[in-house]
Amino acid sequence: MSFTTRQIGAANTLDYKVYIEKNGKPISAFHDIPLYANEEKTVLNMIVEVPRWTNAKLEVSKEEKLNPIIQDTKKGKLRYVRNCFPHHGYIHNYGAFPQTWEDPNQTHPETKAKGDNDPLDVCEIGEQVGYPGQIKQVKVLGVMALLDEGETDWKVIVIDVNDPLASKLNDIEDVETHLPGLLRATNEWFRIYKIPDGKPENQFAFSGECKNKKYAEEVVNECSEAWEKLIKGESEKGDISLVNTTLSSTASFSEAAVNEIPPASPQPSAPVDKSIDKWFFISGAH
Amino acid sequence: MMKKFDAAFKSGPQLRSLGMARALDRLALSKQHLNPTGNFTPAASLSSLASLNEGTKYSPDFKKYSFDESTGKVISYFHDVPLGLDTSNRTANMIAEIPRWSNAKFEINAKLPGNPITQDVKDGKVRFVKNLFPYHGYVHNYGAFPQTWEDPTTKDRELSLYGDNDPLDVCDIGDEVLETGAIKRVKILGSMALVDSGELDWKIIVINVDDPMAKELHDIHDVYVRCPGLLEATRQWFRFYKVPDGKPKNHIAFNGKFKTQQETVELLEEYHSAWKRLVSGETKGEGLPNISNTTLENTPGFTSSLVNPSSLKKSQEPPADIPSDVNLIYYSSND
Repeated sequence: MSFTTRQIGAANTLDYKVYIEKNGKPISAFHDIPLYANEEKTVLNMIVEVPRWTNAKLEVSKEEKLNPIIQDTKKGKLRYVRNCFPHHGYIHNYGAFPQTWEDPNQTHPETKAKGDNDPLDVCEIGEQVGYPGQIKQVKVLGVMALLDEGETDWKVIVIDVNDPLASKLNDIEDVETHLPGLLRATNEWFRIYKIPDGKPENQFAFSGECKNKKYAEEVVNECSEAWEKLIKGESEKGDISLVNTTLSSTASFSEAAVNEIPPASPQPSAPVDKSIDKWFFISGAH
Repeated sequence: MMKKFDAAFKSGPQLRSLGMARALDRLALSKQHLNPTGNFTPAASLSSLASLNEGTKYSPDFKKYSFDESTGKVISYFHDVPLGLDTSNRTANMIAEIPRWSNAKFEINAKLPGNPITQDVKDGKVRFVKNLFPYHGYVHNYGAFPQTWEDPTTKDRELSLYGDNDPLDVCDIGDEVLETGAIKRVKILGSMALVDSGELDWKIIVINVDDPMAKELHDIHDVYVRCPGLLEATRQWFRFYKVPDGKPKNHIAFNGKFKTQQETVELLEEYHSAWKRLVSGETKGEGLPNISNTTLENTPGFTSSLVNPSSLKKSQEPPADIPSDVNLIYYSSND
């Protein structure tokens, strides 16, 4: 299955939107891309939202029809993650698993915290830098349980199946062997990344330990089931748009939705404010 | 008399006895004292300096020249842009070569007339530094001090190492990402003595005077306090950055200790004097930098025109694609 993107407007502006297309037609990034890319369920589709080494906080919009990728805003202003020394922007290709949901009504038995109401977050650790809206085929290696402002916010660690290292990485301990220091940096990054915005340090469940592949697969499975309930209308959906173009058995199925999506109008990226280049030094972080 | 001693320096250090070396070192010191500062008055003033380009960025033919709009002349980044060392405020002018978080190894070309900034070429290919986990490209805005020179013909007094034949290298720790070719007033904070392939290659730590933190950083110690991890990262980065290319780790002299602001200002004076001996023709040898210039009237390299500016462009052509392997990250299991 091959996916393309439809860009509206310029990156780093409020108008910017990236829709995912299949056969040239817009589909929902949240609901229409299959979670699993093979029958054995060993390869998963991941949506890249934020390319490595960049700062714009791009994410799949839950609320907008067909869930395009847009830049998160706060008080009407575009949101960027700050650079926490020694890191530059995000340290992974950051994104989400389609057809997953962290249910805010469910308390996880082990983390004792509720879901954050978003698709499951993914950190892809391969060598290539992705692009917003890229659909990567990845394999799951482990998971960290970030407790972000009191909600469980799982971060699934994956690698692109086409990466030269992919065949050598089969579980979380292989990551430390081949990419020494990466998991420690990941832990540090997620703990401190909101400190420059005046927020407290985030906490990790399980004393910050990265859980293994088996545990991660269970988390993916739980979030897949939570999404199934959501799309079937069995969970309180809140502001989430469930409109989709491929799930004909759901109430929110709408082939006509594609006609409401504007045509592509890509523009060159707008400049990012120079203040985003600031490097924040956080004492005691390392 | 001095020229004779210069010849003795170059004829081969193996011939020098320890006593001879000491005598020569003392002579080098007294030469420095004899050489009055400010015997050249550079004409270029910073406000009229712009840059002009030739060729495609990220290709071997790319050149960026410094251009003095007030005289309409291409000037040398190495010799004509003034160092402007202010020993009381501890400030000087820096030329930015490599923006922070980027990989293309741009540097002042010591060999070409006009000393444009070019990308280093190896085996016919433009050079990019590797990403050393957890860093992205260079950790600082990297550049050079104009009108300074690490003399490859003379051994350093303390370390007994020859210089690397380039202007002094500068690491700016300010927040602003500096563009290639930008000239900035910077505050000197300290320095680190890198030994790269057996040559002495000082890295001077500075901060852009426009940075809000510049007023709060008075010496290298303040960098430890205010920018935790930065100096450790600087050491680690320079020790390891050539390892992914199959080269050995670099060594840092003085057990990795950074020199103070005062010591570094003195270092700059010393390397500015070495540059004066270069452009005056006093220091001679093979493979020394091109000393052509348009502002130092009493020097052998003085010329009325270095490069015809009409063949150069203010704007830049669209850059060549950066090869995707520049994005690779190299992990090191020991540090």
